[in-house]
Amino acid sequence: MPDKVSGLVQGTLDMLILRTLALEPMHGYGIALRIEQISRGVFRVNPGSLFPAFRRLEREGWIKPEWRPTENNRRAKYYTLTERGRKQLKAETEEWGRQIAAITRIMEIAD
Amino acid sequence: MSIWRNLTSGLRTLFHKEEVEQEMDEELRGFLDAAAEEKMRSGMSQDEALRAARVEMGSVDAVKEEIRSAGWESTLETLWQDVRYGLRQLKRNPGFTAVAVITLALGIGATTAIFTVVNAVLLRPLPYPHPEELVYVQEILGNYGPTPFVGNKEFAAWRNQSRTLSPIAAYMDFAANLTGGGEPERVICGTATASFFFILGVRPVVGRLFLPEEDRPGGPPVVILSEALWKRRYGGDPSVLGRGVTLDGKVYTVVGVLPASFVIPDQFKLDYALWVPLAESDTGTGRLRFSRAFGRLKPGMSVATARTELDTILQPTVRKGLKISVVLSPWQEQITEKSRLSLLLFLGAVGFLLLIACVNVANLLLSRAATRQKEIAVRLTVGAGRARIVRQLLTENALLALLGGLIGLALAHWGKDLLVTFMSPNLPALQPIGLDYRVLVFSLALALVTGFAFGLAPALQASRVSLNEVLKEAGRGGELRPGMLFRNLLVISETALAMMLLVGAGLLFRSFLRVLGIDLGFKPEHTLCVSIDLTLSKYPTPKDQARFFQQVIEGIKSLEGVQSVAGSGMPPLGNRSGTITGLAVEGRSEEIGGASFAIISPDYFRTIGIPIKQGRDFGDNDRDGLPSVAIVNETFARRYFPNEICLGRRVSSWVHKKDWLTIVGMVGDTRHRVEKEPDPQIYVPYLQDGQPYMTLLVHTAGNPRLWEGAMRRQVASVDKDQPPHDLATLEQLRAAAHTSRRVNLLLLGAFAALGLILASVGIYGVVSYSVSQRTHEIGVRTALGASRGQVLKLVVSQGLGLALIGTGIGIVASLAVTRFLQTLLYGVKPTDPATFFAVGLLLSGVALLACYIPARRATKVDPMVALRYE
Repeated sequence: MPDKVSGLVQGTLDMLILRTLALEPMHGYGIALRIEQISRGVFRVNPGSLFPAFRRLEREGWIKPEWRPTENNRRAKYYTLTERGRKQLKAETEEWGRQIAAITRIMEIAD
Repeated sequence: MSIWRNLTSGLRTLFHKEEVEQEMDEELRGFLDAAAEEKMRSGMSQDEALRAARVEMGSVDAVKEEIRSAGWESTLETLWQDVRYGLRQLKRNPGFTAVAVITLALGIGATTAIFTVVNAVLLRPLPYPHPEELVYVQEILGNYGPTPFVGNKEFAAWRNQSRTLSPIAAYMDFAANLTGGGEPERVICGTATASFFFILGVRPVVGRLFLPEEDRPGGPPVVILSEALWKRRYGGDPSVLGRGVTLDGKVYTVVGVLPASFVIPDQFKLDYALWVPLAESDTGTGRLRFSRAFGRLKPGMSVATARTELDTILQPTVRKGLKISVVLSPWQEQITEKSRLSLLLFLGAVGFLLLIACVNVANLLLSRAATRQKEIAVRLTVGAGRARIVRQLLTENALLALLGGLIGLALAHWGKDLLVTFMSPNLPALQPIGLDYRVLVFSLALALVTGFAFGLAPALQASRVSLNEVLKEAGRGGELRPGMLFRNLLVISETALAMMLLVGAGLLFRSFLRVLGIDLGFKPEHTLCVSIDLTLSKYPTPKDQARFFQQVIEGIKSLEGVQSVAGSGMPPLGNRSGTITGLAVEGRSEEIGGASFAIISPDYFRTIGIPIKQGRDFGDNDRDGLPSVAIVNETFARRYFPNEICLGRRVSSWVHKKDWLTIVGMVGDTRHRVEKEPDPQIYVPYLQDGQPYMTLLVHTAGNPRLWEGAMRRQVASVDKDQPPHDLATLEQLRAAAHTSRRVNLLLLGAFAALGLILASVGIYGVVSYSVSQRTHEIGVRTALGASRGQVLKLVVSQGLGLALIGTGIGIVASLAVTRFLQTLLYGVKPTDPATFFAVGLLLSGVALLACYIPARRATKVDPMVALRYE
């Protein structure tokens, strides 16, 4: 059974994916790679969590999938952030910021 | 949530499964490739890279599974799988499924049906505007209880003066001969004030209703037809307006037609053919002096205020010497009063039934739990999640509840119709009753909850190892645990209850048999009764009336196949009754008492087979002008001439204005009402003492109904405007007299049967459970050499023991309680030992069977399997 990456809650994963796609459309592996890279290896998302997340986000209307041809006559599924997705990302980013600030405050004081 | 996208995407996944699958494969493969590429870039060989990538990803199938479950359609699929699995499971245990479903169906069906009827009758408001304002008026005369009538004088006073109860209306029923425009018919007529229809908010189908001027004395003779009469007699033709209709010789003009949907919801359920204004009606026996009254409370007025006002208004009109006061009751209560108690009783009984049904099912589920433990354990090991198993079990139980609910729905429909038909005489005439779905949903929910709570037992048991051990230990040792005690108590009380119900039904049954065997004192076979009420305006004197009947009787006598014809003013099993009091006997100074009084024709006794014990029958010589005679029955002779011969003695009463009647005959007793002891009876010949109504009794050679047409023609040939009515054979009348007894018996019998079924299901469940718990023990015993019989005895004795305790308690309880049935019994004591014995035997037999079936399963236990079953 694939290990769940410690501590990465479903909602957070969604947000990270949206953030990643904010720069440019990407396929599944690209997104996983980017998250791993930028988090400096802290978050290693496995396909067992990633792909269900894609389906969810797609259903919500925040990302849009698109098959693009790659070399050697194959094709890959690329995801693009939609307008709604962009709005959602903005909202989640703000909320995330609020939560972080609150947690930080608590951690500072409660000692 | 983009619902549309969600929906379409999910549907696409469902219907294009392969395509979506392929896409998933493709995407994942792409992922693997890219991951491998990445690894190769860091220096791994192609093989190593691929392997590493695969390891990282883990099982492709698992990933695909995760992806799939991210959509709603997968839940649907899982659900569907669960349903199919559940159905398979249920099919595999047909006995269990059948019993559980039937139990639930009975509980749900019965509760819904009875609650629907109770709700409709007791709680449903009258179908008129602002029904809560409608109030029924009764008078209290002197110290007597409330009379449901109101005198004309009082009504007039209230109509003119009341400020609290306005408008106020009155209505009454009477019967009359309807002639003109077809065959003469005797119909039930209503008479009412104009306000009557106004208050009830009725609109005519055709024409108009009464105008306020029309219910004053001397107003125009108008009539409103009922829709049924209009269709039947006038073909639904609108041109009937303005035509004349003759009632008892008087002509009325048709002004309107009432819709068929109009019913007066009083408890009498009369079928009014037409309506005439109240002041106009004339029943032939004098102007109506009283009627039923109700009114609408003025807004803001309370019942108490209105009552005080009506009382005050009465003061000047109080009849001399009599106190009259007023009682007002909301009409709804008035109507439902009679049925209220019995319906509430049913409701209680049936709620109880539902509870027991659910607990029975719980028992059954628990008993099955042990059997399924193995299956659950296996599934857990193979990798099914706890959640999945629980969900599947819930689905299975939901299926059970749904099946039970479906059948219960059918039962409820059927039961409700049955109930309404049976209770018809007691139920007020309301709109047709539809099923109350709230109750159905409630019962279904209860069934679901029960199923969920107890159906989960196997899952819970399998995963709690320590509890498992405990159960095993207890099973082996046979100790009582709290759960077990509760179940045993339940079975005992179910059995006791079933016993009580069965005893009640048994007593009623014996009474019924007794009643059927009562000798009525006459022979009802092959005899047709026909009643004729003469229009007084046409036959004003007793002479005319007697002459009419004489002609009719002669005419019918001449018909072929008619063995004898006679008439009586008070036929047995009929609706008429008359008593005279203050009889005097010649030679005695004191009055002797009362007797039933009937005016008959010659041949009466021969026609219906009453034996003439002394003297003679009336003959054609006993006519007006010749000495007055009378015939008495045995009870009369015994009571008033105990040690002497009554023949030749003379009696008299105020009816005969001191004319002395000579007793010329004494006949056997007859019963006027089946269950009532015969009264002293005196008969006089109709040629000496005419009356305007008579019931003809025609004794025929074959089925008397075949002579109906010929008889009607005979009557018509004497006078075509006198309608023969209420045709029935004496046998039919006798059967009808038993109706309420039959109804009670059937109802109680049904409950008793239900109780019996439930009790046996309960016993079956408990024994079944204990067998599954004691499989190990049974295996050991068998291995050690116990015979089949011994195992049977072991298992059966437990269940039977419970049943016997329950039966015993039931017997004791019945002895205490059956006295309340006293009024319903006939010729049977409430503690009748034969009934108790027979019922006890029945219950024990059924209990034995209920124990035997699971016990048989116990004997089939393979010791090797049982011992291995750890």
